[in-house]
Parts: sequence; C-alpha cells; structure tokens
Amino acid sequence: MYLQYTYSLITMEFSPQRLSEGAGGVSCLHELTLVQGIIDSVAETAAERGGRVQSVKIGVGELAQFDVRLVRKLLQDLKKGTPLEGARVTVETEKSKVRCLGCGRRWDFRELSGPITVDEREMMHFLPELLNSCAKCPACSKSYFEIDEGRSVRIVEVVLDA
Amino acid sequence: MIDRRLAKVRRVLLVMSGKGGVGKSVVSASLSGIMAKSGLRVGLMDADIYGPSSALLFGAHGLPAEGESGLVPPDRGGVKVMSVDLFAAGRPIPLAGSGANEILLELLALTDWGELDCLVVDMPPATGDIMMTLTSLRSGDVGALVVTMTDRLSTTVAHRVLELLKGGDVATIGILGNMVRYSAGKGGKGEQGPRGLASEFGVPLLGNLPFDPDVSRAVDRGEMGMLLKSKFARDLQKALGGYVASLSLRNAGSRP
Repeated sequence: MYLQYTYSLITMEFSPQRLSEGAGGVSCLHELTLVQGIIDSVAETAAERGGRVQSVKIGVGELAQFDVRLVRKLLQDLKKGTPLEGARVTVETEKSKVRCLGCGRRWDFRELSGPITVDEREMMHFLPELLNSCAKCPACSKSYFEIDEGRSVRIVEVVLDA
Repeated sequence: MIDRRLAKVRRVLLVMSGKGGVGKSVVSASLSGIMAKSGLRVGLMDADIYGPSSALLFGAHGLPAEGESGLVPPDRGGVKVMSVDLFAAGRPIPLAGSGANEILLELLALTDWGELDCLVVDMPPATGDIMMTLTSLRSGDVGALVVTMTDRLSTTVAHRVLELLKGGDVATIGILGNMVRYSAGKGGKGEQGPRGLASEFGVPLLGNLPFDPDVSRAVDRGEMGMLLKSKFARDLQKALGGYVASLSLRNAGSRP
C-alpha cells in the first residue's frame, strides 16, 4: 500500500494518506511523479559526474498550475535518503511568457480575455502547450503563438561540489 | 526520464511514411491489435500531435488515470493507448515552433507503460522534430516500418524517409505497400513503387496490401473488432507475421 499525497482545497494543507482510507482532497499524483522524476534526474547527474549535490533550483511554470508549496513539500519529503538530502533546494514560480507569432505581442497567462474552463485547466496541468488549444492572443485573437517560458516543472540549476 | 520510462519496453516500432494519408494510423492501430491478440504486451503511442487519431480508432477518451508512477494509458482490448487527444478532446491543436515536440516529450516522460513487448508509434507526416526525436531515442531496440502507397507522390516522400534512416541507429524492418491498386500500373521510384524502394535500400518488402473498403466502414463505426476481422487485418498479419513472431519468441523465454 503506498501513500498518496492529497491537497485539501479547504485547509490548503498537504497530507499523505493511505489510498485505502480514501482521499480527502485533490490527487497530487502528477506532482508526485514529476518531483520523483526531478530527484531521479538530479541523482543520476550527481552519480555520473561524481559530485555531492550542494543545491538544486527548480522552476515551476505557472501554465501547469502547480502549487509551489506542494512541490516544495514533496521535494522536502522525497529527497530524504537520496543524494539531495543535504542539498539546499529552492523552488520558484516561473511566470508565463507567450509570444504571438501573428501580431508580435508578448503576453502572459493572466492577460487572457476569455475564461479558461476547469477542463481546459486540467488539460494544461498535464500538457501546458495545449494553451494554444483554448486561448487566443489578447491583441489579435489568433491562436498562433509560442510559449517561451513558464510551461511546466524544470530543473533550472544543479550545483555539485568538486 | 524518458529513458527510464522506456527501459521496460523491449522494442519500439516507428510506423512512418513521411507523407500523410497513406494509412499509417490504421496500420499502427491494427498492428497493435494483432499483437495484443497474439498475447503480446503492447502500447500504441500516437505521435501525430497535430492530427491525432489513435484514441479515436480505439474509442478511448477522457484524461488518463493518474497512477503511482505516472499517467496510466487506457487499455483497449489489450492495447495501451496514449494520445494528445485524450487531453485535447477534439479541440484543435494549433501549435507553433517546438510545441508539438514538447508535447511528445511530455507524453513520453509522463506515461507509465509498464512492461511492454512492443511500443508501436504512429508517426506524423513530415520529417521534422518529432521524427528526429523518436529516431534519436537512446532506448535499446528501435525499428521503423515504412508505409507507402504505390503512387509517385507517396514513394518519393518514402524515399526521403528511407534516405534519412539509412546508416542511422534505427533499423528499417521493412516496407509495407498500402491501399495498393493493382491496376494502377507503375509506381514512382523503381518500376513497382514499394518493391523498387525495397530493392534500392536493401530492406524487405513485407507486403503490398490491397485497398479494402471494409477498413473505412470499420473506422466510421468506431469498431476496432470489425477492423481486426477485415481482409486488410489478415493481410497485415501475414505481412508482419515474422516481426510479431519474433516478439513472441523473444518474450517466451522471459515470462514467468
């Protein structure tokens, strides 16, 4: 039986729960998968290069709509017993930067004129690039734009000691 | 992360042509179904991000379930199907720049296929980022099946794809002629289209599958079972029988 992290929308708190006990909040398995992937990747890099992990910087793109506190909490819990255990881990939100290829306007997620539905938010939670499927440029109303920054979770920097 | 995801996948088969409309998606879906019916553990990755069709062919819809180790592709008749359309749900996908490739990478990184004997990949038309990404996979055994019609337009594009594959890490398992109209006469590259390509590149011609109107009837009805009972599927099974058997043989010794 494994633990599932749940995120309570009411208390805004995170807690691990056994699946058999039923989830009391929103499933965070996607975040869990990504955070575990980050830890595995950093550990792999450290093993390949033979250094001790001093610090790791993680960027959380706002388009994927993760809660930064949740990512921090998961990293804090899951890094135990891994090469990241003693490392300083910082997590920061990365604002979205979108560039319209039609009119040249640069805009971000918060400037959208039309509403994004719950279904569309959920879709972008997994595949942020699908912003193109549900949004239009606030200046020219075309869906012909490119996301330059702020997509999903990424490793910005890993510092290893020599 | 993608390498780790594919570590438990024995073989990856890229079904490609370079050109649209030659039947890659139906071949990919049918071949996946044939493999599953043979008792193989099979996944179908829809890499045609702009024009996804695998989910539609298998009647799969709705966001994939979130599992302990990633997204769980829906299982349709023993085939695990992953497609961007499970997320986009019929919406247009007007991606610019690297968007399609980013989505492909995300799907590969997030999907928990589990252990597979074969991951069939329905490739998009063209020889852009996605083809370059998938032909550069570092996971072990990646092969390509090149599908083409007999006409000069199709064989000319298939020729380009074969040229790109030549000497690379991806082995071309063969050429498959599809929707062949035997009365059409001479093909493009070489006298008989697919045969000429096979001869020129020194790869097997696995078959020339005739046009079968039952395929479009089955697709229109959304009945994968009907598709798998068609003459087309029987011909495909015959053409790819050796490849499927090689997966079965390889699998026989490793299963508990």
